[in-house]
Amino acid sequence: MEDLERLYKTHYAAVVRFLYRKIWDADRAEDLAQEVFIRAMAHQPDKPRAWIFAVAANLARDEARAAIRRRKHLVLLKDDPVPLSTPELTADETVEHDERWAQVTGALAALTERDREVLLLWDAGLSYPEIAAQTGLAVGAVGTTLARARKRLTEAYDRMEYQADAARS
Amino acid sequence: MTEWNTKRMRHVPDEELHPYLDQALSRSQCVEIETHLAQCEHCRDRRDTIAALRDRTTALLGQLTPRNLIIPPPFEVLAERLSRRPVTPLWQIRLKRAGLWAAGVMAAVGTGWAARSVLDPHRNPAPTFQNELAPLANAVELGSPAAPMTAPAESQTLADAAPATTLPLHDASPRLTSPRQQGLRLVNAGHRPMIIPAPMLQLASALTPMPERSGDVTPSARLEGRAPFGPLWQQVQWEDALERAGSGLPYIEGMLVVGVLLKAGEAGERPTSLVAQQDPSGELITSIEGPMTQVSELLKAQGVHASELTRTPPDYVSAPGGSTRRVNRVLAVTGRLSVDSLNVLARIATIR
Repeated sequence: MEDLERLYKTHYAAVVRFLYRKIWDADRAEDLAQEVFIRAMAHQPDKPRAWIFAVAANLARDEARAAIRRRKHLVLLKDDPVPLSTPELTADETVEHDERWAQVTGALAALTERDREVLLLWDAGLSYPEIAAQTGLAVGAVGTTLARARKRLTEAYDRMEYQADAARS
Repeated sequence: MTEWNTKRMRHVPDEELHPYLDQALSRSQCVEIETHLAQCEHCRDRRDTIAALRDRTTALLGQLTPRNLIIPPPFEVLAERLSRRPVTPLWQIRLKRAGLWAAGVMAAVGTGWAARSVLDPHRNPAPTFQNELAPLANAVELGSPAAPMTAPAESQTLADAAPATTLPLHDASPRLTSPRQQGLRLVNAGHRPMIIPAPMLQLASALTPMPERSGDVTPSARLEGRAPFGPLWQQVQWEDALERAGSGLPYIEGMLVVGVLLKAGEAGERPTSLVAQQDPSGELITSIEGPMTQVSELLKAQGVHASELTRTPPDYVSAPGGSTRRVNRVLAVTGRLSVDSLNVLARIATIR
C-alpha cells in the first residue's frame, strides 16, 4: 500500500494529463484518475505503474463510448474547446494560448490511434516495455512508432501554424 | 553488435536514436552508439535534431494539460471511498460468471431442443397425438359394456392397455430404407427397446375413405359413427400379438411395423388381427387377417379398396356334439395404393 501511495503522489498528475488528452474534460479526467487509483488499491497489482495506465486507457475508452451513446461528440478540434483557464494572462496572451491549444489538439488528432496512444503513454512516463505491453507492440517497434509519431505531430502542428499565419495575414 | 555498426561507417538509424535518447537501450547498445557518435559528425547532427524533436514534442504535449497545477486529493480520501464500496469477493464474482455461463449454455441447448422438437418433421407430434388419442379411448370406455364378457382381457381402456407399440426387434427384420427407419434401426442396434407411440389414429384413418381424411372432419367426428374399430379391438404390442394370434399375424417384409390391433375371436378361433406397416415412402399399409366374414364385413363397412382376399390357414373349432367346424380365414391388404400393388403385397405377406 505504501508503494501505491508513493506512486499516487508521483503519478497522479500524469494520469490526469493522460486522461485529459483523451477525453478533453478536466474535471472528468480527475474523477477518472481517482477511480483508477481506487481500483489499484482494491486490486493491488504487481506492476502498478503499467496497470494504472492500462486501466486509465480503458476508462477513457469507456468514457468515449458513453459520450457517443449520449450523442455527444468527442471534441478534439472544435470552435469551443475547453482550454485551461489562465487568469494571469492578458487578453492577447489568452487568445494566443487558446489558438496554440487548438493547434496542438488538432495535430494530436491528426495522428493515428496507435501513434497517439504510444506518444501519450511515453509522455506519461511509461517505459518502452510497459508501452509495448499495453499496446501489443513489440518492444523494438515502440521506438519506430515513437519516431513516426513525434515527426508527424510536429509536422501537423507546423502546418496548422502556417495556415493560421496565412489566415491572419 | 548492431547491424549498422558491422558495416564500415554505416550511420545509426533514427529508429535507434529515438530509444537511445529515451534511455530505452541496454548499456552495451548505448556504448556502441556513443562510440560511433564520437567518430561520425552526421550521426551527431541527427542525434541533436532528434533530441530537439523530442523536446519539442514534449513541449507541445505540455500545453495540453488540464490545469497548471494538478494537486491530488489526500490518499486517505481515496482509501475511505474504497472502504465505503461494497466489496464482492473474487470467488463470488467467478461463481456468478460461471453461473451465467452455465445458464447461457442451458438456454442455448434448451432452445435448440425445443426448436428441433417443433421443426423436425420426422418426429411424432406428441401433443396432437395425445389429443387425438383421447376421444378414441373415451369411446372405448363408453361403449364397452359387452367387452368384459367376451374378452375379459380387453376390459382395460386402450390408453391403459397399450399406450405404446413395440417394434418387432428380433424375429422380424424389415429392410429399412427411409432415413427415419434407418434412424430407428440405429437406436435398436444399441439394445434399447424402441417404443413408439401407438398410432391409433393412423390405424383408424387407414381404413377411412380418403376424402374424409383430408377434409375438415375432426378426429373425434371421424371416429364417431363409422369408427372402423369398436371396443373389441385392442391395440397390443407385437410380442403380445404374436402370442395371442398364434399363427395368424400378417407381416410384409421390408416394412416397419407401426401398430397392431387385435380383436378376440369366438371360442376356439384365433383373433382377427390388423397390422399397420409403413412402406419406405411413408405410406401406411394395413394387413387384415381373420375369419373371412369378419374381414369382408370390415372392408365393406369402411369402403376402402383392398387387395383380393387371400386364403390363410383356417381355424378348426370344436362344435357341440364332438364335431369340428372349419372357419376359413383370409388376408386383405389395404392402403392408398393401386389394387395391383396391394395384390402384390398380399402375395408377399407372410403369416407369423
